[in-house]
Amino acid sequence: MKETLKRCWQTVLGVLAGFFGVQSEARRERDFREGRALHFIAIGILLATIFVLFVILLVRWALSLGGA
Amino acid sequence: MGTIRITTCSFMLSLLLVGNAQAAWTLNLTPGVTEISRSVYNLHMTIFWICVAIGVVVFSIMFWSIFHHRKSRGAKAHNFHEHTLVEVIWTLIPLGILVAMAVPATATLIKMYDPSDAELDVQITGYQWKWRYQYLDQEIDFFSNLSTPREQISNEAQKQAHYLLEVDRHLVLPTDTKIRLLLTANDVIHSWWVPALAVKKDAIPGFINEAWTRIEEPGIYRGQCAELCGVDHGFMPVVVEAVPPAEFEQWLADARAQQDAAAAAAGRSWTLEELMTEGEQVYQRVCAACHQPNGTGMPPAFPALVNSPVVLGDVERHIDIVLNGVQGSAMQAFREQLSAAELAAVITYERNAWGNNTGEAVAPSRIVQLLQGDGQSEQEGGQ
Ligand code: HEC
Ligand SMILES: [Cu+2]
Repeated sequence: MKETLKRCWQTVLGVLAGFFGVQSEARRERDFREGRALHFIAIGILLATIFVLFVILLVRWALSLGGA
Repeated sequence: MGTIRITTCSFMLSLLLVGNAQAAWTLNLTPGVTEISRSVYNLHMTIFWICVAIGVVVFSIMFWSIFHHRKSRGAKAHNFHEHTLVEVIWTLIPLGILVAMAVPATATLIKMYDPSDAELDVQITGYQWKWRYQYLDQEIDFFSNLSTPREQISNEAQKQAHYLLEVDRHLVLPTDTKIRLLLTANDVIHSWWVPALAVKKDAIPGFINEAWTRIEEPGIYRGQCAELCGVDHGFMPVVVEAVPPAEFEQWLADARAQQDAAAAAAGRSWTLEELMTEGEQVYQRVCAACHQPNGTGMPPAFPALVNSPVVLGDVERHIDIVLNGVQGSAMQAFREQLSAAELAAVITYERNAWGNNTGEAVAPSRIVQLLQGDGQSEQEGGQ
């Protein structure tokens, strides 16, 4: 159980590093060794959706400040 | 060789001198005459100086490094593949700069896109190649045509100060009033652009785009169509004339009186000479761009009207073409662009100018009848 959580967390970090565009060589190698492509894709879609929702909220908030 | 160099040199020098002499000639954005145009200008300058600062820092480091680690001093390249910390830093810094620029830019954009509480609505419609201005709820509706004489365009006369930036009727607007602009087009996509107001908005057939402005200083502000829209794209300027509100009320009254007079003119009877004089003016202003001042046209694009079978033939067909245009060609429907008297006059002129001696006059009252009749049948068709 603890192992799965750790894996999961590492996948999330790997995807976030991808979003950011910077990743160290050591971590990249570990991700390719231990990670599963399907997990990366699933978490990638999930995080991309969260990012879009975040942008929508940000725009709503900015508009509410602007009085529109 | 020598002479070429000398002429080039004196040419460059004269450019410099001219640059100094014409202080009004400027490459930068104008601060304009509205709150929005000023904040656009300030944003532009802020971002410009941020770019300058980045440029100075980056290039200084680069040139210093190149110079300091030069080969003659025995510099050796340091071979490494990646450095995560440096990469993170050079990603975070631009991100921070972008966010810092986005905050004031968003504030300006939100203001720009808020046309609420406007006190005056003006609909602006792009045509090939002129603008139509309709003051909604004010019963004022007119076209604004380029007024630069053809001779200046074809280099037969000296070009004047507002060459290609002058029109027969200005868009008159009151100062210190929030004005909503509703933009659309009749044929192809145009774009209504007046730098001093910081308004540049596409005018698209079938869509209505909104913009607004609140002009602070009376004056004349010139602009152009900013979307490539055909051969005369460069010949449909915008001229805004901002006047104090009281003067604007007076202008409204005058413009309404002028429209009423035009309607009354169609009701009275006209002599052939009167129609010819009026017709020539209308022709040179509206039709000559395509059919040429002497009626010879530019075949095959624009047919000649001299000896044209349509112009010499059945008058009904001639009237129909001028009122309703020719579908799918550059020949537009002029029924809304010209008054009944102007339409009658220009048709009469074409039938009697340049050796087209039909001797026929078209009475303005006949055009009035046709326009009204068509209006009714259109309504019936719609039911
Ligand atoms: C933008 C260019 C343009 C302008 C401005 C224009 N025309 Fe035309 N006109 C055309 C073209 C193109 C045709 C040919 C249409 C076709 O049959 O395909 C045409 C055809 C005509 C014809 C029929 C001639 C023939 O022999 O078939 C008449 C009459 C005419 N125009 C009158 C006018 C009048 C009057 C005006 C001004 C009120 C005017 N035009 C302005 C482009 C123009
Ligand atoms: Cu245009």
